[in-house]
Amino acid sequence: MNITKTLDAKGLACPMPVVRTKKAMDTMNSGEVLEVLATDKGALSDIPAWAKSGGHTIVEQKTEEDVLYFYIQKA
Amino acid sequence: MMSEKVAIIAANGGMFDAYKVFNIATAAAASEKEVQIFFTFEGLNLIHKQAMHTLEMPAGKEHFAEGFEKANVPSIPQLVEIAQDLGVKFIACQMTMDVMGLTKEDFVDGIEVGGAVTFLEFAKDAAPTLTF
Repeated sequence: MNITKTLDAKGLACPMPVVRTKKAMDTMNSGEVLEVLATDKGALSDIPAWAKSGGHTIVEQKTEEDVLYFYIQKA
Repeated sequence: MMSEKVAIIAANGGMFDAYKVFNIATAAAASEKEVQIFFTFEGLNLIHKQAMHTLEMPAGKEHFAEGFEKANVPSIPQLVEIAQDLGVKFIACQMTMDVMGLTKEDFVDGIEVGGAVTFLEFAKDAAPTLTF
C-alpha cells in the first residue's frame, strides 16, 4: 500500500479527528491513501462513518498500543 | 435520496448546549453537508463576541471543567471558527435580537440575521433537523 500522506490526530477529541481528516483529504487526489492516527475512541466508529459518507474506502484499520490507525483511499 | 442539508436550532445558551450544537455542526460540515444553525433566545450566547468566552456549565456540574481539559476538547470560540471555516452558516434570530437589544456587531463576523421563515425555508428539505 502506498501511503500518500499521514495525519497525526492523536490526543484530539471529537470532532477534531474527523475535521482534520476532511481537511487532509481535501488536499489529496482520487485513489491516494491517507493514513490517520487517532487516540479518540469515538474515532473507531466516526472515521469509518465519515469515510462512508464521502464514498471513501477504508483499505485497512488496526489498533496498536491504544493508537487507532486508519488507511483511507480517496474516492 | 439522502438529504445533503443539516438544519440546527440552537435555543439554549450554556456551555454543554454549545458543544452539542458545534460538534454536530462541524461533524456534518466535515461530511460535506450544507449546515445552517438558527440561533434564537439564549442560543444567541453561543455566537456572542463576549458571552461565547464565558458560557456557564449547568449548576452543580462545574467539576466537569477538569474533564474538558483532560479530554483536550477544543474551546467554543475555536469550534465557532472551525465551523465557519467549514462553511457552516450562522443565522441570528432578528426578533430575539430586537427583544434583547442586540445588533449584528455584537456577534462574531460572518453571521446572517434572519427570521423564522429564513430558517424554515432552508430546513424544509434538510434531514436531520436538530434542536438543542
